[in-house]
Amino acid sequence: MGTRRKLFTWKDMYDTAGTEALFTSAMRDNCTFQYEHCPEYKQLLDGMGFHPSQLQTPEDLGKLPPIPTTYLKAHTLFSMDQKKLPIKATSSGTRGKKSEIGLDWGAVFSGASMILKVGRYFRFFSLTPHNYLVMGYEPHKSNKTAVAQTATGYTHMTPILHREYVLKYGPDGYYVDFDGIIKALDRFSRSKFPTRFMGFPAYTWFLMEKLKEQNLRFPLPKGSKIYLGGGWKQFYKEQVDKRDFYALAKDRFDIDESNVVESFGAVEHPIWYSDCNNHHFHVPVYSRVIIRDVNTLEPLPYGQIGLVNLLTPMVYACPLLSIMTDDLGILHEPGSCSCGVDSPWLEIIGRVGMVDIKTCAAGADDLRKGAAL
Amino acid sequence: MIFYNGQRYDTKQQGELLDRLESELNEILTHGTPPLPRTIIDACESLATKALSGLFNEELAGLGFEVGPMAQRIEEAASIMRKESLEAKVLEELGPEYLASDIPSPASMSPAPRRVLTPPYDHGRTLTKQRVPLGVLFHIAAGNVDGLPAFSVMEGLLAGNINILKLPSADNGLSLRMLEELVKEAPELAPYVYVFDTPSDDLPAILRMAGFADGIVVWGGEGAVETIRKFAPPGVKLIEWGHKLSFAYVTEQGITDENLASLAHHIIETRQLLCSSCQTVFLDVDLSDDGMDNTPDSSPAMSKLVEFCERFLPILEDAVAKSTPLDIGSTAQVTLRLYTQTLEGHAGHFGRRIFRGRGCSITLCEEGSPELSPQFGNVLVKPLPRKRLLPALREKKSFLQTAGLLCGSDEREELSQLLFRAGIIRVTGPGSMSHTTALDAHDGEYPLIRYTRIVETRD
Repeated sequence: MGTRRKLFTWKDMYDTAGTEALFTSAMRDNCTFQYEHCPEYKQLLDGMGFHPSQLQTPEDLGKLPPIPTTYLKAHTLFSMDQKKLPIKATSSGTRGKKSEIGLDWGAVFSGASMILKVGRYFRFFSLTPHNYLVMGYEPHKSNKTAVAQTATGYTHMTPILHREYVLKYGPDGYYVDFDGIIKALDRFSRSKFPTRFMGFPAYTWFLMEKLKEQNLRFPLPKGSKIYLGGGWKQFYKEQVDKRDFYALAKDRFDIDESNVVESFGAVEHPIWYSDCNNHHFHVPVYSRVIIRDVNTLEPLPYGQIGLVNLLTPMVYACPLLSIMTDDLGILHEPGSCSCGVDSPWLEIIGRVGMVDIKTCAAGADDLRKGAAL
Repeated sequence: MIFYNGQRYDTKQQGELLDRLESELNEILTHGTPPLPRTIIDACESLATKALSGLFNEELAGLGFEVGPMAQRIEEAASIMRKESLEAKVLEELGPEYLASDIPSPASMSPAPRRVLTPPYDHGRTLTKQRVPLGVLFHIAAGNVDGLPAFSVMEGLLAGNINILKLPSADNGLSLRMLEELVKEAPELAPYVYVFDTPSDDLPAILRMAGFADGIVVWGGEGAVETIRKFAPPGVKLIEWGHKLSFAYVTEQGITDENLASLAHHIIETRQLLCSSCQTVFLDVDLSDDGMDNTPDSSPAMSKLVEFCERFLPILEDAVAKSTPLDIGSTAQVTLRLYTQTLEGHAGHFGRRIFRGRGCSITLCEEGSPELSPQFGNVLVKPLPRKRLLPALREKKSFLQTAGLLCGSDEREELSQLLFRAGIIRVTGPGSMSHTTALDAHDGEYPLIRYTRIVETRD
C-alpha cells in the first residue's frame, strides 16, 4: 500500500502530470487487492476480460471496467471485514436507493492528509473564530448520509462561535427555517468575526432571494466566505447562472466572488474537489477523470461531453477504484485555465436521463413495485 | 410563470395568488354561469387553426422538435381540437342534449339539460336529473406528452368546470401559451383557468390547490402522484389517468416483415415513453413444451425466441436510423443501464440475454409477464403461450392498457376478446398502439362523464 501513501502525501496537489506513473501503480496495487479480496469484483473483471496486471501505463486506466454508482446502489461490495472498518457511509440516494461504502484506516489517513493539503492550499483553515450558517441538515441520529455530516464537518476548520442550521430537526422531521437564519445573520453582521456559509447552493440562493424580496442586506465582516457543496438537489430547476449568484452574494452580504468556493465529491469517490479562482474543478493528484462516450463508453478526448468516470486508489475497503457516475461532463485540457493550476479541470453539465420527465409507463412500474406485484 | 384568471404573473406571486383563490372560486361558483360546450368548441377550433399556422412553433422548437415531426405533431393535435372532433366527443360522452343546450333557458343559470323521470312505485312523483360540472378540478399533468396539460384543462372546461393546473416541470411554456390563446379567443373562460408552475416538491402549495378541488385529475408519470395519493383531502374525487403498461402479442402467423416494421416504427417513434407504448413483445411460444432432454439454449421454443430477436433487431435498427437522434442524456441513461446489466450478468445477478443493436436493444426474458423496458428503443421479448395469457396478464390487471396484435386475421377476434377479459383496454394493430383520436376513452372511461356529476331534484 506504499504507492497510495506516496500519492496522498505528494507535495504539489495539482501535479497530475508528475504523478501519472505513481497513480497507475497505486491503481494497480489497489486493483490487485480488490481482485483478490472481493469475489464479486473479480467476477466483474473476469467477465469483462480484464486483469489487474494490465494496468501498466496511464492509458491502461481507461481499460479498467468502471463500476456504475447504480451498481453499488443495488449491490454492496466490500473487500474487508465491514465490522473492522473505522468509517461507514451511505450516499444521499434519490428514490430510496443508497450505496453503502466503508473506509479502511489507510483511506482515512489518506483522506486526512488530502483534507489538510486542500484546506491549506485554499487557506480554508484559520485560527480566527467564525460564525457558521449551515445551509444543510442539522445533525440528527436519523440522518446518516455523508452530505449531512460533511457540511457540519467543514465547520471544524476554524474555531466556532455559533452555528445556525437552515434545515432544523423538529417533532415532524426536518423543516426549513429561513427566519432563524435571518435572525442569526442580523447578529453575525454586527459581529467583529467573519461568517462562513456551508452546504447546499440552492438554499443559499433561496435565502438571498428572500432577502432581496424583503429588501434586507447583511454586509458580513471581512474574511467571510460562502462554501457550496452537495449539488443543487431537487432544486435543479432553480439552478441559477453562477454570475447571478456571485452578484447577489456581493449585493446582500458584501462577499466577493473570490470568497465563494464550490466543492464537488461523492460518497463513491471521496476526493475533495474545490474550485479555483475561475470556479473550475481542477483534478488533484489523488484522482483522475475519464469522460466516456455515451454510446460506446470509450474514453473521449479533452473537450468532449460524456459520462463522468472518476478514478482513485484511495479506498481499499471497497472496490471504488473506477466509478461511473450518472453525471455528464467535460474534461478540459491542462493549461486551459488562467488561474495558474496546470491540471485538467472537470465541468459538470448535468445528469443522465430526460430531466424530470417520469413517463407514465415508468410511473406504472413504480406503483407496481410499491404494491409488491 | 403563472396564468391566473386571464393574466400572467411571476412564479414568485404564487403565495399571494393562492391566498386570494378560494374566495374568488366561491364568487365564480356563486354567480358565474359555467361555460357552454359551444364556447369552448369554437375557441378550440380557432386555436387549432392558429396552431396550424405556426403560432406555437417557437415553444415546440424549444422542446426539441425538428420541422418535419413538428408539423406532424401539430396536425395530430389540431385534429383533436377541431370543431368536428370536439362535437363528436361531447355527443359521444355526454349525449346530444349537451350540444343542443347552447342557449340556457332564462329560468336557469345552468346550461345543464334536465331530464324529468317518474320512478316506478313512487306514487307518480317526479325526479329531475341534471348532469352538472364537478365544480373545481385540479389537474396534475405529466410531461411525457407535449401539450397534454392544456388538453386536460380543455376537457375540464368542456364539462363546465373551473380548472386549476399544476404544470409538469418539463412543459417549457407550451401549455401555458395554449391556454392563454384559448382565453384570448373566449375571454369569458378566463375565470375558469388557473395555471401554476409549482414544482412537484412544493407540497404545501400542491395541497392548498388540492384543498380547493372537487376532483383531482392526476396524469400518470408526474412525480406528484405519490404525494397526492398520500395526502389528498379525504373524500375528494381522485381521477387517475395513466400508470399503464402496454405490449405487443405476436403469434406465428403475425410474424411478417411488414408487421415487424410497423411495430419497430411505433417503438422508436414513441420512445416507449407513453402508457400505450410497447414495452414487451410477447411471443406465442411455450418454453414448458420443451422436453427435459433439451438444454435451455437449444430447445425448439428457445430457438424460436432467439430467431425472433435476431430477425427483429435489424428492423428496429432500421427504424432508429430513420428517426431523430436521441438526446445525449437519454442515450447515456440507456447505455449506463445496459452496461450495469452486463456487469450484473457477470456477477450472476442478471440472467437475461441482451441483443444489442445501434441505438436499440432486445432483452430476451424467460418468464412471461408485462414489464417496463429500459425504454428509448430497448424492448423486452418474452414467451407467453395463449393458454397462459389470461393468468399471466391478470397478475397485472390494474396496469394494463393497449395490446398491439400481430396475428392472422382468423385469430384476431378470439385473441382480442381474451385480451379484454384479461384486463386490456384497447387492442390495435402493430403500428397504431399510440394513435389517438378525439373519441378515445381514457383508460376505458369517458373523461367528461368523470368530470361531471348527477344532481337530482325531488318534488
